[in-house]
Order: sequence, then C-alpha cells, then structure tokens
Amino acid sequence: MAEKRRSGGTSGMSESKPTKTDTEREFLSQAGVGELLRGALLKMVEARSEDPMGFLADHFCNQASEAENGTGGCCSDGDLLNLGAGAHEQQQLSRALWHLRLAHHSQRSAFSNNVRVAYDLLTQTGPQRRGAVGPSGPAGQCSSNSPGGGVRGRLYTHTLQCLCSEGGVPVSTSAPLLRRLHCQDHEAVPYDIFRHGVLTCAVFSDYIRRAQRLYAEVCGPAEGPAGRTLCLAVLGTLHEALETSRSNGGSSDANHYSNANAKANPYLEAKVSRYLEASAKISPGKLAQAMAGAEPAGGNMDAKEFEDAAAELFIARVRVVC
Amino acid sequence: HLSRYAKRSTRVGLSVNTVPCTVKPTVTLQIGDAETDSSRPGVYVIDVTLPIGQTVNIQEISFKNYYTAYVSVRLLRRDGEGAAKWTTCLRNHCLMPSPHTEEGSQDYCSVYRQQMLIEPDNVTSVRLILRQPSSAWLNFSVEDIKIHPCLNEDSEWDIPDWLSDLTQVDQLCDLQGLPDPQTVSSSIQQMWALTEVMQTNQTTASIGRFDVDGCYDINLLSFT
Repeated sequence: MAEKRRSGGTSGMSESKPTKTDTEREFLSQAGVGELLRGALLKMVEARSEDPMGFLADHFCNQASEAENGTGGCCSDGDLLNLGAGAHEQQQLSRALWHLRLAHHSQRSAFSNNVRVAYDLLTQTGPQRRGAVGPSGPAGQCSSNSPGGGVRGRLYTHTLQCLCSEGGVPVSTSAPLLRRLHCQDHEAVPYDIFRHGVLTCAVFSDYIRRAQRLYAEVCGPAEGPAGRTLCLAVLGTLHEALETSRSNGGSSDANHYSNANAKANPYLEAKVSRYLEASAKISPGKLAQAMAGAEPAGGNMDAKEFEDAAAELFIARVRVVC
Repeated sequence: HLSRYAKRSTRVGLSVNTVPCTVKPTVTLQIGDAETDSSRPGVYVIDVTLPIGQTVNIQEISFKNYYTAYVSVRLLRRDGEGAAKWTTCLRNHCLMPSPHTEEGSQDYCSVYRQQMLIEPDNVTSVRLILRQPSSAWLNFSVEDIKIHPCLNEDSEWDIPDWLSDLTQVDQLCDLQGLPDPQTVSSSIQQMWALTEVMQTNQTTASIGRFDVDGCYDINLLSFT
C-alpha cells in the first residue's frame, strides 16, 4: 500500500522509486515488524476479543514490558528493586492472568499455550533469581532450567484465587476447591499441577455460573426461593449421572493406556457406554420425572445453599494435590 | 372325595412371549385297580402339545404350582430326520422343600433352558410329571402352563435396562407449576459435562511432598 501511494505521487521520478521501496522493505525486515504483527494477529485470532483495539493495545504493552524485563539486565534491575518484589510479583501476576483470560478452556490448544506462557511468566519472578539465571529471552524460554523449579506456591494460590473471583465465584464457594488444590507457600509448583489447578478453576467458574442460572430456572417465573425438595431432586439427577459416568481415576486411566494396547477398545467402549447411560439419567424425561416426584412441602432453599450444594458435587471429584 | 381324573379344560395360551399350545387333561398314574382303589393318586401326568407341525425352541416353561412336590419334565423332540423322541430334560425338580408343609405349594415357577439336561430345541410336545408323596393334600396339580420360546438372535445383544427405561417428556402431563424440563435438563447436562472435563484432565503428577499431615517421618531426613 505504501508503494502504491509513492508511485502515485512520484510518477516522474522512475530512478528513485526502486531505492525507496527497497529501503522501506529493509527497514521493516530489520525492525522485525513482520514478526511482531504476525504474533499479534495470531493472538487476536485465538482470543477473539470483542474490543480489538484494546486487545492490541494490551498485547503490545505486555510485549514491551516483557522485552524490557527480559533483555535489560542491569538497568531495569535497579528500577525493579525500587519497586519492590511485591509490586513486581503483582505485575507478573496480572500479566499471567491476562494471558489466561485470552482463550476459553474449551479451546484446547489455545488454552494450553496460554497456560504455558503464564507458567513461564510466573516462574521468572524475583530479581534475585533473574540475576542467577542471566538474561533470558523475551518469552522466558528458560523456565525448565529455572532454579526454583516451578511457580512459587504462594503465587500459584494467588493465581487460582484471582481466576475464581474473576470468574464470578464468591470466595466462600471457591474456598473448599482451593483447599484441594492448595500448595504450601514455599513449595515449587511444577507445570502439570499448575495446569491442573488453572484448568480446574476455569471450569469451576463456568460450572458455578451455570449452577446460578439453574437456580433461576428452578425458581421459575415466581419471585420467591425454590422448594427444597425440588432443588434436591434436580441436583440428585446430576449426582446420579456423575456416579454412573465416574471414571476410575487418572492413575488407572494412564495404566490402561500403557499396559493394555490390546484392551484399548473395550476400555473405550465401556467408557462410552457409561457416558450414554449417565446421559440417559439427565434427559428431559428423567428430570421431569424427578421434579414431578418431589414433594411440595419441605421448606425452601435459597440461592447460596443451592450454589454450595452444586459446588460440593463438583469439588468432591477434584483430586487433592499432594 | 374326588374323581380319578381331575378334569382339566383345554387351554390355549396366547400372551406376548408364549407359544399357543394345548394342555391336555391330566392323567393319573396309579397302582392297582382303578375302579376299586380309593386312595388318592400320587402322580399326575400333564401333556402340553403344540399345534400339529409346529416346533419350538424353548426358553422357559412357566406355571403356577398347586401343591405339587416334585416335577419332572420330558420333551418330545423332532430330530433332523423328522423322527420324534422323548427325552427327560428335568428330573425330580423340587417345588416344595417339605411335601407335608405349605412352603412352595402355590409358588409361580419357571424352568429355564439353562436348567435342562438337554437342549430343548425342535420340541413338539412337553410332558410334566407331577408327584406329591404327602397324603396331607386332597389334590395337587400345576396351573397356567406357558411355554416361552427363544427370542431371535438380535435379542442376544443384551440391551441394557436403561435404554428401555427412557421416558418421554410428553407422557408426563403432570408438570403444572414445575420448571421446564428441557431447560433444566440442558443446564444439568452442561454441569455434568464440565465436571467430566475436569475429571478427565486431572493430573497424576504429584508435588512431591514428604510430610504426612504436616509432620515429617524422621527417617526421611538425611544426614548428609
């Protein structure tokens, strides 16, 4: 486009045209603008944000500060020490959270990439650590060799708390979940556990929002709270379905795949059959049956209690970090 | 005081899972002169025949007991050449553990294919031999004899129960004042799916703690 404009204006000066476009091209390739823009566009496509301008602004802002902290060893250290480790951590945390917010957990590969980036970001906290490691690249690719061996436990817990609250989950509801995912402040959290925690919190936020909507549906057009037996009947169907489709736990899944290549098909068949059976338990017909069977008497259940009961169904199935 | 031949009306069974058959009148087996002997018979024989030309592969023979203590079953089978042969498929099957007492006297019983000594295939006739050694009862027999054929090959799929249990929403009309099952079901399904996603993505990785409930085992602390 730039070339078109130039050629329009300087039709008479044919000799200078090639040199001008050449220098422009050279300038762009030297500055690495192509890479920058490509990176930005890829991120944009992944995130599909509703505010493209704001997204791009945030993206370039983040890139700039990451580049600063990564390569500028000596000069920025002084600044950071002035800021204090706490504020720096806060900065890293907000940046990591920004990355985690980009893609919904259902977008598998995009979400995984973002978790990786966030993890790398969070493993770099602390000016002392950076001094030992040496100048790292802007994207922090040295995470696997970082002396800490992972994200600090305190920072990990903080990340999970922010994820839950940003997802619209009240602190009291997410507390039991966080107790299961909790790591000690001093521990180094490896990538697998970090990912597990982040994914669980993201899914949990969706789950709770759905549960809140469900409560509104169960209340129906009436303004008042929903009947206790009705709520319990509805949640009971979910409980039954979860019991039916209960997978035998992560460890046995892994064993199945590694030991029993010959048995892979029957295992999958059994799993599919369990899923079908579970889904039959929460069909509209079954729910109509459960709701019709609920006795009218028995008091009411308010929104908070319903939310807690639903949360319990989920949290009971979260594996405790150990 | 009863007549020697317990009269039985011929019946034709026609329920969903049974073959139409004819139950012949019961025949008694007695020792001695039929006319003068007044003791009650201890053995009855009931024949059940299929319409001429028909054969059946029996899955089950069901009946209602009436104070019969033991039953033996013989089958008339047609083999490949068309010849018919009687064989015993059930020998002295006990229906009443103690013939003098009530237990089992009026039970509904079934004799299954798996219990039989031979394969009950190509059967044209079934003979039930009833025995009641106890003199406590005035009369004994079995009622409501039904022969259930084997179902087709397809039924060996072993369709799970829950498939046949699917209820239609329309069938339930009593949904006054209740929330819409479709929307509630949709929400529940999403919540179920989310929980499944969480469960399948669980990691087996461990953070590698050595402490149990906050305390360390002293042996784990090394001296180097």
